[in-house]
Amino acid sequence: MTNSTKNKSLYIHIPFCEHICPYCDFTKLFYLQKFSKPYLETLFKEIDSYHLNKMETIYIGGGTPTSLSDEEFEMLLKKVSSLLKDGGEFTCEANVENLTPQKLSLMARYGVNRLSVGIESTHDERLSQIGRFHSFKHAQEVIEEARKAGIKNINVDLMYGFPGQTIDEVKDDVRNIIKLNTEHVSIYSLIISPGTLFFNKNIKEQNSDDSRLFYDTILKMMRDAGFERYEISNFSKPGFESKHNLVYWHNQEYCGVGLGASGYVNGERYKNTPSLDVYIKGNFVSETEKVNQKLLHEYFLMTHLRLKEGFSLKEYNNLFNEDFYLKYRDLIHDYVSRGLAKIDDEKFAFTDDGLIIMDSLILPLF
Amino acid sequence: MKFDREHIRNFSIIAHIDHGKSTLADRILELTETISKREMHDQYLDSMDLERERGITIKLNAVTIKYNAKNGETYLFNLIDTPGHVDFTYEVSRSLAACEGCLLVVDATQGVEAQTLANVYLAVDNNLEIVPVINKIDLPSAMPDMVKNEIEKRIGIFCENACEVSAKTGEGVPDVLEAVVKYIPSPNGDDNKPLQALIFDSYYDSYRGVVVLICVKNGSVKEGDKIRLMAANKEYEVTEVGIRTPKEIKVDSLSAGEVGYLAGQIKDIRDVVPGDTITSADKPCEKPLPGYRKMNPMVYCGLYPVDSKKYLDLKDALEKLSLNDASLVYEAETSQALGFGFRCGFLGLLHMDVVQERLEREYGLDLILTAPSVIYHVYLHNGDMIKLDNPSKLPDLTLIKEIQEPFVKAEIMTPKEFVGPVMELCKERRGIYHDLQYFDDTRMIITYELPLAEIVYNFFDKLKSYTKGYASFDYEYSGYYSSNLAKMDILLNGETIDALSTIVYKTNAYERGSVVVRKLKEIIPRQQFEVPVQAAINGKVIARADIKAVRKDVLAKCYGGDISRKRKLLEKQKEGKKRMKAIGSVEVPQEAFMSVLSIDDE
Repeated sequence: MTNSTKNKSLYIHIPFCEHICPYCDFTKLFYLQKFSKPYLETLFKEIDSYHLNKMETIYIGGGTPTSLSDEEFEMLLKKVSSLLKDGGEFTCEANVENLTPQKLSLMARYGVNRLSVGIESTHDERLSQIGRFHSFKHAQEVIEEARKAGIKNINVDLMYGFPGQTIDEVKDDVRNIIKLNTEHVSIYSLIISPGTLFFNKNIKEQNSDDSRLFYDTILKMMRDAGFERYEISNFSKPGFESKHNLVYWHNQEYCGVGLGASGYVNGERYKNTPSLDVYIKGNFVSETEKVNQKLLHEYFLMTHLRLKEGFSLKEYNNLFNEDFYLKYRDLIHDYVSRGLAKIDDEKFAFTDDGLIIMDSLILPLF
Repeated sequence: MKFDREHIRNFSIIAHIDHGKSTLADRILELTETISKREMHDQYLDSMDLERERGITIKLNAVTIKYNAKNGETYLFNLIDTPGHVDFTYEVSRSLAACEGCLLVVDATQGVEAQTLANVYLAVDNNLEIVPVINKIDLPSAMPDMVKNEIEKRIGIFCENACEVSAKTGEGVPDVLEAVVKYIPSPNGDDNKPLQALIFDSYYDSYRGVVVLICVKNGSVKEGDKIRLMAANKEYEVTEVGIRTPKEIKVDSLSAGEVGYLAGQIKDIRDVVPGDTITSADKPCEKPLPGYRKMNPMVYCGLYPVDSKKYLDLKDALEKLSLNDASLVYEAETSQALGFGFRCGFLGLLHMDVVQERLEREYGLDLILTAPSVIYHVYLHNGDMIKLDNPSKLPDLTLIKEIQEPFVKAEIMTPKEFVGPVMELCKERRGIYHDLQYFDDTRMIITYELPLAEIVYNFFDKLKSYTKGYASFDYEYSGYYSSNLAKMDILLNGETIDALSTIVYKTNAYERGSVVVRKLKEIIPRQQFEVPVQAAINGKVIARADIKAVRKDVLAKCYGGDISRKRKLLEKQKEGKKRMKAIGSVEVPQEAFMSVLSIDDE
């Protein structure tokens, strides 16, 4: 496969974890050295197969990248850091429990300049209920150590909508998270997917009325604390948006490698196999989807419209050779008059109220 | 294959649903090597997928069988299958009219059921010779002697000729074939008289036109003959005659007593009316054969394409379906809410279900069905009477003198311990008690007069659940009586939706209204804005529930970068929407239209 010139971002999936979280729906495996060694070897082959130029953004996600041994972790960072352009964004995900000072110093040495820590809750009882093995105190400590190690851009993940969670607990979580003073916060509501332990235990997702109430509360508190909600689930201090994630939301191409990873290269979206056996044999991609004009249109809308800024009408009109406003005039008027969408500065975007019900607003545009 | 009349037997099999009629037919086909094992799939005569899936026979089907009897002679059997469900009584009467005898299949573990009785009485009316077949004797709980005793005492059919069989294992089935030879009379008729052939079914074939299934009562018919369809008064030239084994095999001619098909480039299926008589155009008979006990449609509903552009496709599909289903009637209608569609009449709810499924499955249509309604007789002050098959068309109240609704006499057979619950159910459904009698030591027959409208919706399901599945039930139309009725309208977002109007019993209208609005609130998905659902009678709102606005969508929650997966989720939502009807700005799913008949929360 040849490298696409459009491709400026790389996602690397590390599927290993020390513990499997009962809600996690990503491709993941228990960490075993027997597997991790051949995995990394195959992963490097896959990376090489793309003949990548210098990347503007690199993101190592999981799974739990920090579940690798220090040796393996260093091998990985060494390999990957050589692909990063000067001044590029280099993110690595981590769990609190295995984000050791050694891992942090390796990150610093190999140029990781953005750290994403899965904190998920600031209540220890809740953490053990959802199968996380850290305490909030420990989380506070690792954030401090990360600062000491010189990482200036930190994201933390927070979840809400747990079974039996109250609005007070959520407010407390948000207050605690704000105090950590990170540059970026991702806040997700709990999804119960088939195949997860929570699903099998017949735990139900929070109803949409409560979920909306929690979301609105979170949004207000985060904004009051100086964060901007630039994407449905993502908050940042000015200038600290995730450049890597913006590639996704701008519907741009990126290379995804590793078990179960998805990518978008040369006009084709693909998904890698979730089977370690198959992967190690070198059969990386298991599904592909040629993005024709119709799909491009759907992807364009569903990615851009997750963003607060939406998309530029000019970009749309150039890309699809059609005038967005004329094409959807009645619908746009309807949405705007109901306060669900706006056109500002030649850009079409959903408002706060529209963003949170975007499925129903987007479908008529398909 | 040419047989004299003495060697022909025309018979059908009648049975209560699940008593093993189709399995017996399968064994007969197998045993006579009409169908090789290789070609055999279960329940051969039930040729529609739908029939096999539901384990029921809907359309009658006929097959010709050659049988080498123990007396060394070869006989020609014409086996005409009959449906076992109450909705299809008409089809049963059609098949019986073409026969001289029938096998009465009774489950040795269940005994006689209400439906068995109804079909036996039809057979007796047609002067048929009845051979009882006690089936499922392989089951440990089989009680063949008791069942025989019951058939003798309760129906008055002697069981000395009865066969005991297991259609499943094949045990005893050869005796059934011998019994057909011995006890069922050969057809009478005269080859030399003018042609008289009874049409009992037809289907359309794009090469040959309408293929007509006939039973020749007198005379004979061959290729090249000029024939006349007596009721339709149309003449055609016969291009082909044959028998079905069940594959079609051309023969030179069909004569008195024989069952087969003929084709004659008949293009208009409306010319071919089951029950009509075919005679010779050159040498016609004097009188047509007696027709059938024709069943009129009992329930009506509106049938609309979800996508209004598919109206003509629906029209085409209905036309084709009605070719093979004479009991399906339809005429065009329009609804403010649903656009162009058809008002269709059915024999019953199962029939309606079957038609809907066939339209969706065989013709790829997405349909909206409005709640089924009976025909009301609306008497006006000016002396006029309107037959109302669409509740939304009820005239203004000030014009109406009285409304009458159809009643049926229902016989419910149940083990005696469930008499209480059954009577409770009949009372809830406005039933008028008639009679309660012991059928045998353990079972009773309860007779009620019930408004047809009350049994149209889930009466049978309720009956089954109240009696742990043991009750069986049969009904016949008994007449029109005055009732205290009113039209209940449903308003969505303040607008009356004509397709949701129903006729209700005034006394429990409030209760009904609140159940229906709650049900609609449950079924109609949240929209982008709040939608009030109201039930109203004479413009007065009697119940209300609000469908809340959607507050948060699924995708808003999605984490991770797998955008293809998100798009597929959206795609799915979009597919779901295709099966909904946009009424004004509200998206209404198909089930909503049926839910206006909800009687209680469950």
